[in-house]
Amino acid sequence: MYRGREGQWAFIFHRVSGLAILFYLLVHVAELAAAMWGPQYSNAILGFFHTPVFRLALLGIIAAVLYHALNGLRIIFMDFTGWGVKYQAKIWYGVFAVFLVIYIPVLIKILPEIFRGH
Amino acid sequence: MVTKVYTLNDAKAAAGNNFELYWWVFMRVSGLLLVFLVLGHIYMQNIAINSAEINYDYVVSRFSSPTWKIYDIFLLGLTILHGANGLRYVIDDYVKNLSTRFWVKTIVFTVIASIFVLGSITLWTFNFQEIGDVMRSVPSH
Repeated sequence: MYRGREGQWAFIFHRVSGLAILFYLLVHVAELAAAMWGPQYSNAILGFFHTPVFRLALLGIIAAVLYHALNGLRIIFMDFTGWGVKYQAKIWYGVFAVFLVIYIPVLIKILPEIFRGH
Repeated sequence: MVTKVYTLNDAKAAAGNNFELYWWVFMRVSGLLLVFLVLGHIYMQNIAINSAEINYDYVVSRFSSPTWKIYDIFLLGLTILHGANGLRYVIDDYVKNLSTRFWVKTIVFTVIASIFVLGSITLWTFNFQEIGDVMRSVPSH
């Protein structure tokens, strides 16, 4: 832990979300590559990823992508503008505000699909 | 107390080449593109439809469509490079022993490169009939 302020947490979340996204990316590409072996294998593997446990985990990956994208924009502002550095902590709270505005509707759309079971 | 002021020239002398600068620029440029490519991809596959409906026929129809074939080529290439370089930063931060670092990188980048090749083959496997139709429909003069 460096100083434990906003910038430190922004960095830790960015790193952890990035690692989670990379891990999912590799699994996701392999999952889709099964299509090369035909519908019986492809549909079996896709069905496996449609089980509630994996769909809930996918919601976590969507959250990771959304945070990583918004905080990535914050990093670009910090690198290229003076106000980006001056207001980086405030922008981080802005990142969370925008995150919630987008992610809550996503949950409202997807959670019922998972718990209806199809 | 006088502290030494490090200048751009000191940084250049320490780095030796512009390798890290190019990766730094790449992370910003690819990151900006990926905001749109990845969020667009998630929107199409999770919000516009129920993702549980995705099956073999859906996957093949997307991989055969000219638009999504090109979209997915950029998506795969940029995410793999952005992710692999991000992981390189993480390894350099936490694996200090140079021999261990070499082997960790060798194994990790071999896995990532293999998955990239697998994904590329998948994108090139599905038929080019549609993309061929589009090209042939362009007037030759």
